[in-house]
Amino acid sequence: MDGKPKPVDEILIVKNLKKSFEKKGFFHKKETIRAVDNVSFSVIKGQTFVLAGESGSGKTTIARLILGAIEPDSGEIIFDGISLDGRLQSINKVRRNCQMIYQDPYSAIDPRMKVVDIVREPLDIHGIGRPSERQSLVLDALRDVSLDPDEIASKYPHMLSGGQRQRVAIARAITTKPKMIIADEPVSMLDVSIRVGVLELMSKLQQRHGISFLYITHDLSTARYVGHVIAILYRGSIVEMGEINNVIKRPLHPYTQALINSIPDPYPGNHQGEKKFRINRTEESGSDKGCRFRTRCPYATEKCLEEPELEKVEEGRFVACFFRWN
Amino acid sequence: MTTLAVKDLTVSYRMRERPVTAVDGVSFYLDNKKSLGIVGESGCGKSTLGLAILRSVFGGRIDSGEILLDGKPLMEMQESEFSREFRWKKIAMVFQGAMNALDPVFSIRQQFEEVLNVHDGGSDSQITIKNTIASVGLEEGVLDMFPHELSGGMKQRVVIAMALLLRPVLVIADEPTTALDVLVQAQILELLKSLKTGGMSLVLISHDLGIIAEVSDMVGIMYAGRMVEFGAVTEIYSRPMHPYTQALLRLTPKIRGESNLVTLEGYPPSPSNLPKGCRFYDRCSQAMEKCRSDPPIIKTKTGYVECWLYEIEK
Repeated sequence: MDGKPKPVDEILIVKNLKKSFEKKGFFHKKETIRAVDNVSFSVIKGQTFVLAGESGSGKTTIARLILGAIEPDSGEIIFDGISLDGRLQSINKVRRNCQMIYQDPYSAIDPRMKVVDIVREPLDIHGIGRPSERQSLVLDALRDVSLDPDEIASKYPHMLSGGQRQRVAIARAITTKPKMIIADEPVSMLDVSIRVGVLELMSKLQQRHGISFLYITHDLSTARYVGHVIAILYRGSIVEMGEINNVIKRPLHPYTQALINSIPDPYPGNHQGEKKFRINRTEESGSDKGCRFRTRCPYATEKCLEEPELEKVEEGRFVACFFRWN
Repeated sequence: MTTLAVKDLTVSYRMRERPVTAVDGVSFYLDNKKSLGIVGESGCGKSTLGLAILRSVFGGRIDSGEILLDGKPLMEMQESEFSREFRWKKIAMVFQGAMNALDPVFSIRQQFEEVLNVHDGGSDSQITIKNTIASVGLEEGVLDMFPHELSGGMKQRVVIAMALLLRPVLVIADEPTTALDVLVQAQILELLKSLKTGGMSLVLISHDLGIIAEVSDMVGIMYAGRMVEFGAVTEIYSRPMHPYTQALLRLTPKIRGESNLVTLEGYPPSPSNLPKGCRFYDRCSQAMEKCRSDPPIIKTKTGYVECWLYEIEK
């Protein structure tokens, strides 16, 4: 990509990241699945970068690659100026400065530990602060996520509501004072009323501590409330990337258009009559060559048998489609 | 014509100390070939209400109230008669998470056959199965596949097909698109809409007001076991009356329009410890002194709202 900002502005740079998995079966022959295919993006300090796509598009694989849970086939990940090369030193540095919040607050925290121990654990693991200081760091973190330490610190997870659990998970993520948090669908399992509170909390933490977020989701309508930049993933590749309101108001890639078009809006007037899907029904990818979206794309032509590059179409806007001007 | 009428329905679960009322005096109606959406936060009684219409509240009981299907009272019926003539034949349900409850060791065809055998689906069962699978937009080949060979969207279609096998007049769908991707969700919603043109009525349970707006004609807002507002979707979405409905609409993330966040503090009261008077009192921005006593039910153009705010307009 050209026109990138100065490196100091970026907390995370991902360059040409590739990861494929082998699918083995008893009866089927081996199949290679390109889970992440040539993905490049960067997260600016203090901003929220949204990685959006359907299930199986490779969102979570990218998160696992960044945290060093799995190793990439090729490509480069630069976190806070340090290139991740698989050495333990660099992985530990990332894990301390880059925390994760998971989708399911019911299974992400240990049911046999008290809240205070759950939040304290990362401090012990990374050896942050003297043991005597850790208690107060834990209480600070709990206050930071708007939980009352006196009320909650000695409780077990089963005594908490879903929203409280997710706040505990967030408190655990921020105790190490990370520079970045990867949030994997952090609100999709919460009730609408609690959802907004958690989203607000994330924005508040961002303003207060300058934390950058990598926000992974399939839900564009909530992403819109917290994100600055969005990348739309389709089968392991970014098909569109740009400033979030810009992308949502004026999607250029046919896939993004279909995605936004299919989000139900709470205005009944918008839904009178049949909804027009600008997308073909076929779910099979067929050949791996060319544009991945080809078989479902209503505008596909011969040209799409070649693979489109993610190209800059205007300042801060990238699209991987030959017919983006539609 | 009214397909389903529910009057003053109360359902409770037996808990250790005392019964807990999950659905408390709920009334609504649903016309033929129309769809009713039931919305609310977790634990407000949506699913219990759906199960009660099917007279299948596990671990609980229907304490009082009436359920009329095409004018026939269901509550006065013997269980044997209800089970033989109504459950699944006239009223079918797509349970929450049902797509994960398909039996992994039987093919889809075998699972369909089981339904038809249990409910005495007639002699031409293979034709019924073929027609039904086609009606949910799946190929016939799917019938001889096993659940693990199907994608999430296909499994959801199979589960819906199972509910349609006996051509019921009423289908209750409990969170039918949760855990599905937006594109697949949109296709399932399209399918549910098409049921209405096929002559069925639909009760759609969801926590997402966007989904309800897309499929339903009527909507009922549940809060802590009460239906606090009921009416036509167009009416309620453009002019929500109950403060809880107003809050829900403001909370719902929208892909278009303004993008500011509004919060609703607190949690719904626990059904085992309900406050006196209006149950929304603690979270309501417009709460008044008289809200400490039970709110009146005010008739609106297309339904009702249960709130003291509108008492004067009466």
